[in-house]
Amino acid sequence: MLSEQLLTALIFGGLAAGMPLVLAGLGELVSQRAGVLNIGVEGMMIMGAYGGFVATLATGSAGMGFLAGGLMGAAVSLIMVVLCVRMGLDQIVVGIAITLGAEGLTSLLHAVQFSDTYPRIGRTIVLSIPWLSDLPVVGRALFGHHPIVYLTLLAAIFGTWALQRTRTGLAIRAVGERPEAVDAAGVSVVSTRTLAAMTAGVGGGLGGAFLAIVNAGNFIPFMTGGRGFIAIVLAMLARGRPLWVVVGAFLYGLSVSLATALQLVGVPIRTEVVFSIPFALVLIMLVLFGRNAYLPSALALPYHRGER
Amino acid sequence: MRKQNWAWRRGPLALLAAVALVVAACGADEDPVDEAPADEPAEEEPAEEVEDEEPADEEPADEEPADEEAAGVEVTRVGVAAPEEPTDFGWNQAGIEGAERAAERHGAEIEVAGGLGYEAPVSTLRQLAEESQLVFAHASGYGVAAKEVAEETDVPMIVYDSPDSREPGVSAFVEVDAFEGGYLAGIVAANMTETGTLGIVVSATADFNWAMHSGGFIDGARSVDPDVEIVAASIGEAAYADVEGGTRVTESVIASGADVILGNGDGSAFGIMRAIESADDDVWYIDVIGDKREVDDENILLSGIFWDFGAVYYEAIQDVEAGTFGEENYSMSLANEGIDLIQTENIPDDVWEQVEEARESIIAGEIDISAPRTFDEVEAMLD
Repeated sequence: MLSEQLLTALIFGGLAAGMPLVLAGLGELVSQRAGVLNIGVEGMMIMGAYGGFVATLATGSAGMGFLAGGLMGAAVSLIMVVLCVRMGLDQIVVGIAITLGAEGLTSLLHAVQFSDTYPRIGRTIVLSIPWLSDLPVVGRALFGHHPIVYLTLLAAIFGTWALQRTRTGLAIRAVGERPEAVDAAGVSVVSTRTLAAMTAGVGGGLGGAFLAIVNAGNFIPFMTGGRGFIAIVLAMLARGRPLWVVVGAFLYGLSVSLATALQLVGVPIRTEVVFSIPFALVLIMLVLFGRNAYLPSALALPYHRGER
Repeated sequence: MRKQNWAWRRGPLALLAAVALVVAACGADEDPVDEAPADEPAEEEPAEEVEDEEPADEEPADEEPADEEAAGVEVTRVGVAAPEEPTDFGWNQAGIEGAERAAERHGAEIEVAGGLGYEAPVSTLRQLAEESQLVFAHASGYGVAAKEVAEETDVPMIVYDSPDSREPGVSAFVEVDAFEGGYLAGIVAANMTETGTLGIVVSATADFNWAMHSGGFIDGARSVDPDVEIVAASIGEAAYADVEGGTRVTESVIASGADVILGNGDGSAFGIMRAIESADDDVWYIDVIGDKREVDDENILLSGIFWDFGAVYYEAIQDVEAGTFGEENYSMSLANEGIDLIQTENIPDDVWEQVEEARESIIAGEIDISAPRTFDEVEAMLD
């Protein structure tokens, strides 16, 4: 049955599996609130994964890897900024193009650099919270993660506050609803949306970097496996509330771990059923919360001053 | 022997598609943007463009019946199509290298199309067929398309979908007796475990080769120690490239007490390896299909179930020339060295002797090995 060691591994693995979704989902949420539907977050994640892996491999520092991953995601989001925010092109089409382009480019780079050696990064540093990490079962599982996990949770709390209580947060929410009104009030719609789109890029890049550096210790082509699209759904379901992204992502991650647990314990359930659990959970969330999901009225619509 | 590697084409093609999509986005924006929603039809244009590139429907279908192939054709060039790059130290690399060995042995040229993915192999298979006398459609997802193209072009193809896909002169299936290799691996694992618990990780529940490896592994381990504990977990239904999932699931399997792990992974195998390398205690890894000794930096590789496609591919070339292609399916087994177990220095001599004895018994037909076809059947063996 489930030993303490196995339970710890399952909970730890579930939270770790949810972290890339938290990072990408938080960035996506900010972008969506500003009216920019960033379909390209999958591409930003894979670029972040590649950049983070290469930087960590070269410097031996996961911190440098995260920095590179975030910057890589931000750099890719500039395509979104230029083509969609500045030029007003179709956000969905450009987002798909970003994903396809990023997947192609990273596959090519991987083939050139790593296909003969498949280098791997060892286990990254862990920040154990004193006393709490000594608790049985949940101690190491909940309180023994990479520092970026705690920083991300703090960022989610800060983001919740910032979106509601700061002028920048107000501007972000307003350009997603009535950009013309914001423009008339003297706030730059383009600058605000640029900031939001680049936040999504940084989030996606960091999510990809976490995947490659902490979770996998590897980079291989297409390794994000659609996680960027799950992050988009989580951001939509969160209805503008960052902490809901955190809850949804960890719920998804834990349900993935639950699938592993059911197999290891030998519960006689068909594997098709086992692997449908995470997706069934997302569907249940959709039914419970999604029908009231609120999307900004100017989401995915380009803004051109003077046009109505 | 001329070798053209198409592995590089997939990346540029994706980039081209990306550029096409951006151009399409520009086109969409030419419309007044009054209330332009994101779901303008412009985004569908690239898909149509891609389809337009395929000349399939315009080409007159060859009316020649398949039986005409039986006359035999001189094979001067063969083609091989694979879904991933031939650098994965697994299925794709083993298949392409096997095809290269077969072509070289026969004195034929070879055209390699690697990194094709699974979505649209038809146009590439057709191109390969135009320039070759035999095509190895080296993916279990290519069977339907390959058979269709083989009928259309009269160029026979090797497929992997199902034994029923065999048709004389058109297509033949390669049956891999993967359970034989699994049995030998199980013998090694049961001898090497310190904890008395072995682990199996698979990347895809429906992959019957993974199931057969696992079934043989269980039988082989139990032949050494009937009480050995074995735990098994799958990363996903088709999580071949899920390297993060490979790490996560393997860490859980190790936490269950396993200290020798059979990893059926493809790309996710590198996640399995990472989990083993990072484990607190010593854990051994047994790989499948390819030979990962080159990338075993931490010396965790205990062994590997190696597949050698060279012999059967060469046999297929001979059959095309003799006009007998497709009269029988092909088989890879210990007997024809299509399946083997990699001997590393980590396996003690006395254990290897047991392996050699078992090998001879299997070839002689003295050992009956389970050959499950699904992961559910593997799990049932553990109940």
